[in-house]
Amino acid sequence: MEKATVVIIGGGATGLGILRDLSMRGVKALLVEKNDLVNGASSRYHGLLHSGGRYAVKDQEAAKECIIENQIMRKIGKSCVEPCGGMFTRLDIDDEAYEEAWVKGCADSGIEATPITLNEAFKLEPRLSRKHVKSAYLVPDAAVDGFRMAWQLIDSSKRYGGELKTYTEVIGFDSINGELRGVKVRNQFTGEEYEIGCDIAVNAAGGWAGFVGKLAGVEIGVQPDKGTLIAFNQRIVNHVVNRLHKSSDGDIFVPHGSITILGTSSMSVPNPEDTSTSREEVESLLKIGEQTFEDLRDFRILRTFAGSRPLYIPPGGAVGRSASRGFAIVDHEQDGLKGLFTIVGGKFTTYRLMAEKMCNQICAKLNNTTPCRTAEEPLVEEVSQEDKDRAKKFFPSYGTNLAATRLGVDRFKKVVERLETDPESRELVCECENVTRAEVEEICKDDTSFIVNDVRRRTRIGMGTCQGNFCALRAAAVFADMGVESTAKDSLTRMREFLQGRWKGIRPVLLGRTLRETEMTRLIYELSMNITGGAAQ
Amino acid sequence: MKTTDVIVIGGGLAGFMAAAVAANRQQKVTLLTYGSGSLPLMSGTIDILNAKAPDAAIKNLPAHHPYQKIGLKNIDSAIKFFCDIAAQANLPYVGRLSAQIPVVTAVGTLKYSCLVPESMDASNLINKKKIFVVGIKGLKDFYPSMIADNLKKYFPDKIFDVAQIDLKLLGGRDITCMDAAQILTDNEQTLANELKALNATDNDAIIIPPILGVMGNFSRSVITTQLRADIFETTCLPPSPPGVRLQRAFIKYLQKSGVKIFENSKVVRGVVEDKKVTGVVVENAVREKIFRARKVILATGGFYSGGITMRDFDNPMEPIFDIPVFFPTGAENWSNQQLFSDKPQGFSMTGIFTNDNLNPADENGKILYENLHVVGANLGGCDKIFERSAGGIAISSAYKAATI
Repeated sequence: MEKATVVIIGGGATGLGILRDLSMRGVKALLVEKNDLVNGASSRYHGLLHSGGRYAVKDQEAAKECIIENQIMRKIGKSCVEPCGGMFTRLDIDDEAYEEAWVKGCADSGIEATPITLNEAFKLEPRLSRKHVKSAYLVPDAAVDGFRMAWQLIDSSKRYGGELKTYTEVIGFDSINGELRGVKVRNQFTGEEYEIGCDIAVNAAGGWAGFVGKLAGVEIGVQPDKGTLIAFNQRIVNHVVNRLHKSSDGDIFVPHGSITILGTSSMSVPNPEDTSTSREEVESLLKIGEQTFEDLRDFRILRTFAGSRPLYIPPGGAVGRSASRGFAIVDHEQDGLKGLFTIVGGKFTTYRLMAEKMCNQICAKLNNTTPCRTAEEPLVEEVSQEDKDRAKKFFPSYGTNLAATRLGVDRFKKVVERLETDPESRELVCECENVTRAEVEEICKDDTSFIVNDVRRRTRIGMGTCQGNFCALRAAAVFADMGVESTAKDSLTRMREFLQGRWKGIRPVLLGRTLRETEMTRLIYELSMNITGGAAQ
Repeated sequence: MKTTDVIVIGGGLAGFMAAAVAANRQQKVTLLTYGSGSLPLMSGTIDILNAKAPDAAIKNLPAHHPYQKIGLKNIDSAIKFFCDIAAQANLPYVGRLSAQIPVVTAVGTLKYSCLVPESMDASNLINKKKIFVVGIKGLKDFYPSMIADNLKKYFPDKIFDVAQIDLKLLGGRDITCMDAAQILTDNEQTLANELKALNATDNDAIIIPPILGVMGNFSRSVITTQLRADIFETTCLPPSPPGVRLQRAFIKYLQKSGVKIFENSKVVRGVVEDKKVTGVVVENAVREKIFRARKVILATGGFYSGGITMRDFDNPMEPIFDIPVFFPTGAENWSNQQLFSDKPQGFSMTGIFTNDNLNPADENGKILYENLHVVGANLGGCDKIFERSAGGIAISSAYKAATI
């Protein structure tokens, strides 16, 4: 039987953070995830590294945690963070009294909030509404790439012996006399069921924590709270732009590279799998968004997406926006199952702190006294200038930096070697995101690549302007050729599934120039390729 | 400015066809185009309808379907006219309205079409023993093993082999089918020499990307006589040489027929006097210019080409004449959950409704302008991609509008 000291359930930021932390402390840890990594709230979010300003009035404890973790993340995850800074703007319709409370809240929480004149604000953010914006402050918000952070967490964990299995779902727990012995899992592709032996299991399943708890017969107060977001094809803002009012829907814009993300809504849903979005949600986000940026509707919307915040609801606690963004650790020894823990709630910005607290408890049980070092040690080593210079012979320098931080030291070296020796591998599979065939081949070979969407999350293919029109065919072909998993061979299914994944986010925003892109997708894949393979009826 | 007989707006398949038919009927034609048209995006086949026998199926279409307004006779005449133009450019097309011809796609499926370039007609594959799928070194977008693997499902009893030939394309930027086709234009022997290494026999077929020249005059017989095997082209990702060949064939024909083509001419609005369209206003970087005609054919395309636009939900517009646009209302009717669906997509049915003369009508069916005709992807009421009718509607509506 496979064995680990600790099995971590859930491949979101929290679970990966725990995997890294435990591995660094020398604990043999294995993470299982029922889907691909960061498939829940850890990638379906704004990509906002909070300064804490958002919580300065309502939840100062969360605000303080945010500003501390914000500074740590910039240090350890340098290439995942875009230090664009943040701005809070109060509109004419917003409560002035809230502004006062907010300024005080920031000061009390240790968040530097610098007032600026409206002229300065319009200079920094030219598209801000001259009509509505009444005051503005700068705060140390930043943009963070959840995907990249996850891959770097994995690389860091693996360096210390951490292991993980994706598409592996937990289906039960094995215990004897109230003491945990192992976790039963099922391979999502083959259906194979087996047990992984362990002393401790951590339920870090986020929105799914309640389901996992049920398998162990314990009740967990987690309420999945769906948030819908819109990705625009342009960089509309230079800073993270927040509305300075009581937290509400559609009031944060975050710039990421060449795009902007607007969100979010807040809606309690029974099932965290519900990542559906609707035209109504999009309309309501746009309506609020255009109060801050009046010409918002003139920008092309790339897609919309949704994720569920795993809000922790203590018995009798509040839900939705009023629920705490704090987190909780439960030792289920109190419920009669020794060895099982649940960690729930929290937010991406503080995942590292959550992991640290969780691991402190685990290590205490294991009599492991190694201190946590996740706040000091960078996630990955920096790619050497020498390797970057070699790569620049084939890439534009912008693409070189992106690929270097995306791939990390070892894989980047391999990709550059491949580019040097095989000229054919230099072709771009994805022109929008500058991804070479060499890189796609390298990721296809990874043991976590089961479908083209897995390759997408690691390379960013299909995430840009054309939303997969050109790279779907290429990526499915390269994957069929290089993929190690048996799922790779069915190229037509992989291609359809990939484009269907893009479609899911396009459907509710199917207007304007997005209609053109969709007609092009259909012209190519239905008319020219007959992708469904059907015969004339 | 002088008044001409016909103004055609739009440089896609429908616009070219309308201009060609009108010119063939001794009309003085002005063609206004903006951008490169959608032909380079097209596979090169002219799909009429997804049915075993399209001619019979067309009769059963609902009354509001464009084909019912165009009529079978016009569809038939359009096909003949189209084939004639293509043949004049040494771009022979094969097929008929009563049957479908298989074409190998770049993903290794077969697609079926009524009218296909002879170089893509894969009907004979069934009679072959061995099928070579041949890629070109350095050519992006063509993956022989994927094509062979998927094609095997249609032909399980055949022997498949993949190979790669070197046309010395590597070394610069990424190479598309258009680049390879450019190199092979008037250069059949280079390809024949490379393919000889396959040692193919007359029991074999060779499948290659669509790179047999960018003009219609590539001589396949140079290759087939030397190799003995048959050679077929697949479809490809855009830009697509078979679509470009067609574009060039039309332009050649139009120029020969005295059609005045004005490129980069964005038509911004129509000139309407006494409920009649008397001309159109073209805008370029510095000024506006009025073109006048007795008849105007609107071939500006659908959402893809900008002939129909939609900034806000439930509000599609025809930007030149502000003609009312038919569309399915509400989010649930606008699109299907599946991108590749078993039913038409609502958004793709969006377009203009017309009478039998293809004159645009308003919501109440009242005809707006009797000398304005709407053709091609502008026409509403059917999903031309789902029913594989885009090409057929383009050429036949254009034919009808030009002959009225």
